[in-house]
Amino acid sequence: MAFAPAIVVSGLSKSFGPFKALNQVNFSVPQGEIFAYLGPNGAGKTTTIRILAGLLKRDAGEISICGVDVAQDPVFVKGKIGVVPDESNLYPELTCRRNLEYLGELYGLHRRARTLKVGDLLSYFDLADREHTPFGALSRGLKRRLTIAAALVHDPQVIFLDEPTSGLDVASARALRELIQTINRQGTTVFLTTHNLYEAEDLSHRVLILIKGQVAASGAPWEIRQQFQGLNLLAVNFSREIDPKPLLQACPAVLKAASENGAWRFEVSETHPALEQILAFAGKGDLEIKEINTVVASLEDAFLSLVEKSPESEAR
Amino acid sequence: MIQFRRILAISLKDIESYYGKPPLITWGLMFPAVLLLSVYVKDPATYLAVAPGIIAMTLLFGNTSMAAIVVTFEKRAGTLQRLLLAPLSMRTIILGKALSASAYGLVSALILTLGLKLVLAMPLADPPIFVAGLMLGAGCFSLLGLTASVMVQEVFEAMTLLNFFRFPILFISGVFMPLSELPHWLKPLALASPLTYVVELLQFGVTGQSEFPTPLIPFSVSLLFLLISWFLTEAMFRRRAHV
Repeated sequence: MAFAPAIVVSGLSKSFGPFKALNQVNFSVPQGEIFAYLGPNGAGKTTTIRILAGLLKRDAGEISICGVDVAQDPVFVKGKIGVVPDESNLYPELTCRRNLEYLGELYGLHRRARTLKVGDLLSYFDLADREHTPFGALSRGLKRRLTIAAALVHDPQVIFLDEPTSGLDVASARALRELIQTINRQGTTVFLTTHNLYEAEDLSHRVLILIKGQVAASGAPWEIRQQFQGLNLLAVNFSREIDPKPLLQACPAVLKAASENGAWRFEVSETHPALEQILAFAGKGDLEIKEINTVVASLEDAFLSLVEKSPESEAR
Repeated sequence: MIQFRRILAISLKDIESYYGKPPLITWGLMFPAVLLLSVYVKDPATYLAVAPGIIAMTLLFGNTSMAAIVVTFEKRAGTLQRLLLAPLSMRTIILGKALSASAYGLVSALILTLGLKLVLAMPLADPPIFVAGLMLGAGCFSLLGLTASVMVQEVFEAMTLLNFFRFPILFISGVFMPLSELPHWLKPLALASPLTYVVELLQFGVTGQSEFPTPLIPFSVSLLFLLISWFLTEAMFRRRAHV
């Protein structure tokens, strides 16, 4: 995966009035990589995509996409990138085929090349039987697929996917993830924003976590997880429902408790004292512990830990 | 050449999606046709005095409204972003949008003119000047509609904004009353209105007479208004099209 960078961003800043949306953001994305750009709502993800795609002016910083600054030559850069916004936004009155043909015209494809490309995309995205259906009449999943197909009509070197699977059912989301991997295997660099951290971990080669407009962490998912190995986690299954308040009072080594599908996940300061305290708590309360495990921090744990450490959360 | 193809692609798509719908063309023709017929029925001798003005009014309302509606609608639907993300210069986008709106206005005005010629035997003393007036008016008014569309978020806001400008100029630009009959204090305002010069070009095209000594004056000023509209539209699109 060691190629020249497809995207280089350094010192990127953007403010909307007094609000600093992006503050000295730096990153680079090598060609052929799937790069996940993560952050809570309002972190500045969409602002970054809008600046990179030439839709928004930056206040400061350097940006290079395929070796060219978007502000210097927006037409060149726009010809090299494809953008899938968070809302599918093709022309509702035009058919699937006409939408792709029109975009092919806008990207300068000649008639013959356009017809071939549109046919290929419709087949590839399993939309050939819907080619005469207006975009507005498609289901949400099919709209998403056609929107991604539209971003690929000119064979871009970089594709920006803003929340590609949001609002899709499980099967459609999985199919779309497979599609993203296939697109990437064919050489397209993928810049992905998502709220689904399992998706980011599963798909991406590298991840950047943006919080309040600043880079909080970046690296391969395993590198980020490793940074948070200091985060001690225990997964515990009790024989019955428990109230976490008395447990937290009785076990000072347990810092936080969260329940998911009946299983408890405890963030602890040190593993051994916490284990002893939990066992003692269970013994006193006549609670049976069915299962207890130490847990390796996931990307989601790392993400949540970073979000909770952000100044706003600390103030809360 | 590549940009020209893209301008054409944008225009043809807009004609296919919006302007080419038969109900829209009919709607654009009904009001001016009925208005002219009512003038003709009342006094057949005077309809020629107002026909060029009503054709110009059709251009003014048709082009400003349609250009504004299409762009505001596309902004709301997010589809304008498709154009902004494509490798197109802002000029290509504006020209593509203005070309389709102008084509709509031109076709409506030409159908109206043809109808008047066939039904009421309206003369056409100088067809090239008449067509030049239509083209300059269509271009200028389409650009003004585009300017309004990027200044607002909703269609009704665009219409309100345009009506502040359209209705007042309708009564001072020689549509219903010749410039020479306007009160003295209104004449400077009339001369500042782009509609005045389009009306005069069409008047010259139809009757061979105008309030100006030569059609070159309204032609040059209309051209100047077209250029001003262009710069205004380009500046507004650069500042606000992404909003």
